[in-house]
Amino acid sequence: MSTTASGVEAAAKPEAPAGLARRIWHNYVLRRVLRSLFVIWVVTTAMFFMLRLLPGNPVDTFIAQQIRGGSTYESAAATAANLFTFDPETPLIQQYFDYLWALLHGDLGNSLDPGTTVMEQIAASLPWTIFSVGYALLIAIGLGLLLGLVMAYRRGGFLDHSISMVGSTLHAIPNYLFAIIVVVFGGVQLGLFNVSETRGTHTAGVEPGFNFTFIADAFYHASIPVTVYVLTTFGTWALVMKASTITTLEEDYVTVARARGLSGRRIGTQYVGRNAVLPMVAQIATQGGFVFGSAIFVELILKYDGVSAELYAAVNDRDYATVQGILLIMTIVIVFANLLAEIVNSMLDPRIRESESGAVG
Amino acid sequence: MPVLSVRDLRIGYRSGGRLVEAVRGVDFDLYPNEALALVGESGSGKSTLGLGLLRLLPRTGQITGGEVRYRAPGGDQVEATDYDVLSLEGTRLRRFRWSEAAMVFQGAMNAFNPVLRIGEQFADTMRAHAPEGRLGREDIRERAGDCLRSVRLEPGQVLGSYPHELSGGMRQRALIALAMVLEPRVLILDEPTTALDLLTQRAIVDMLQELRAERGFAMIFISHDLALASELADRVATMYAGRIIESGTADDLFREPRHPYTAGLIGAVPTVHGGALEPVSIPGAPPDLARLPAGCSFASRCSYAVDECRTTDPGLLMVTDRPAGETSHEAACLRWEAVRMPAMALQDEEAGK
Ligand SMILES: Nc1ncnc2c1ncn2[C@@H]1O[C@H](COP(=O)(O)OP(=O)(O)OP(=O)(O)O)[C@@H](O)[C@H]1O
Ligand SMILES: [Mg+2]
Repeated sequence: MSTTASGVEAAAKPEAPAGLARRIWHNYVLRRVLRSLFVIWVVTTAMFFMLRLLPGNPVDTFIAQQIRGGSTYESAAATAANLFTFDPETPLIQQYFDYLWALLHGDLGNSLDPGTTVMEQIAASLPWTIFSVGYALLIAIGLGLLLGLVMAYRRGGFLDHSISMVGSTLHAIPNYLFAIIVVVFGGVQLGLFNVSETRGTHTAGVEPGFNFTFIADAFYHASIPVTVYVLTTFGTWALVMKASTITTLEEDYVTVARARGLSGRRIGTQYVGRNAVLPMVAQIATQGGFVFGSAIFVELILKYDGVSAELYAAVNDRDYATVQGILLIMTIVIVFANLLAEIVNSMLDPRIRESESGAVG
Repeated sequence: MPVLSVRDLRIGYRSGGRLVEAVRGVDFDLYPNEALALVGESGSGKSTLGLGLLRLLPRTGQITGGEVRYRAPGGDQVEATDYDVLSLEGTRLRRFRWSEAAMVFQGAMNAFNPVLRIGEQFADTMRAHAPEGRLGREDIRERAGDCLRSVRLEPGQVLGSYPHELSGGMRQRALIALAMVLEPRVLILDEPTTALDLLTQRAIVDMLQELRAERGFAMIFISHDLALASELADRVATMYAGRIIESGTADDLFREPRHPYTAGLIGAVPTVHGGALEPVSIPGAPPDLARLPAGCSFASRCSYAVDECRTTDPGLLMVTDRPAGETSHEAACLRWEAVRMPAMALQDEEAGK
């Protein structure tokens, strides 16, 4: 590739920035973090330019609306600038950097609601969605993995058949539809739970804080959406885990582990379970992101005031800054969920860490 | 007294609602410190037999009959043991495995759990067999290190490694070391060197010889390489279509095979011919186990076969004057007296011309 002379020259130089950059590149976790940040940057940039440049973009539409409503272009543009936190006079590229700079400071602009920032609105609503979806995913995945493992061990048995049937039926129903079914049949017709009582994220009078009453109340209110998420997803986890476990059970090292006289529990967890989960981690991340995205409909139907209520209101009010902010934050949450999955994967599987760090030697 | 006595062992695989026997009534005795080689073509049931001895058959496999008697003499502290492995269940079976009889698997490049360090896999094996599961870290390191050194591996390096960080040969050595860590009295090796290059193969075979001399365990060495087997083993048993059709000392079998199949296998050992390796193979293919012919199952491929062979299955016949036991020689062939090595047969032919 390079001539001997330059090669010697390069080697003679101390291992300055290039060496450090290479080390970072070869660190599995750092590399993933950098990639995630890159994805977020791309999404941010795309959203920014879509909002300003595309024909029929919200800014132009807003100004046109205002003009139709009787205001002059100048005043309409001024309102728009205020709303979208940008000045039409400054060059686009400058606006872009201003936007990024503000973003880095957690400033997503102002909401249409007078006196509130987008960030405040998101901070009030998003944690509820993350709480309910995250809690549901934990239960669904835990339950699914465990059931899948048992189904694989006792395949052809009663448990295997019944969970396969129930799981695939529930999986076929979209979760918002299932939410309607739960409310109409479970809540209203059968009276299994009190529809009006569980509305919202917590009871009005209860003071948010780290105390038992509030936490118990929060779990109580989240129980219906959580049930919906769990019931619509655990079957899929179980079926995928079952398939993965069956493959793992055929592996030589499982037979050898049995030959070694290890206890069934040790083999089930460290030999079968752990290896069976590996190919599923990436899937868990994408499916988890999907549940998070589709939570919007479920929350609306169940009147759970998570980020979806906020998003829904913002779309209705054409509160673009808020819509943009929420989409951006949701993207970030999903990207970080994926990042987390990859890190977990590398912790579970030593081969992943090495294959990347040792690839170029 | 044999450490392992196998009597009329039968093992079948379920397929399409039928049970096809892959091991059809095997008898043999394995004496302490003895090396027994099991040889035979692919599909003759060697691995099935090995797995059956440890009760490790896959889900479709099933032991349908027989007895596997395991005996260990008592000492000052321990009682003498004498039980049928096929009757063991639960914890007793779990403890029999590896601490009494360990096995190195065929093509087991994948024998170690990829997500655990080698050291952890030594530790969990030893803990699984320690009374009440308790064993000090130092104890584990010391005993594991001891075994690794005896297969010429560096414990400091290997114990902290993940399986994929070791070469195939190193992994196989590590597995052999792991097999010895509980000092089993029986070690089953199912083609332990097939996946390795010739040099590594040789090194491992030499090492096995040394280990056996040093540690004194009985060994069942499964191979389709008769030359390798006769070099390593005291006794050799030839398997064909799920049965042992000849057994005797390595010398007897290699010099004076009394079953045409064994003679054919010796002929099939690659010989240097015109600079190239050229195996002289046995014509025909092994019979379908689901549709075995009456009489001798080798008859259709046998040049010695007479009409009687196609109707009578002779069973193992004593072909030597020596008494039954470690030095007996048996062959399941009606025409054993006529059997000649291929090379000898050729000479006879030429002499007759
Ligand atoms: N899991 C299984 N299910 C069904 N049949 C099997 C299974 N394993 C082996 N068999 C059958 O049992 C017979 C003996 O197989 P086995 O693996 O014991 O032979 P082998 O002598 O070890 O051969 P090789 O030299 O190729 O290892 C073969 O006919 C094979 O098709
Ligand atoms: Mg085999």
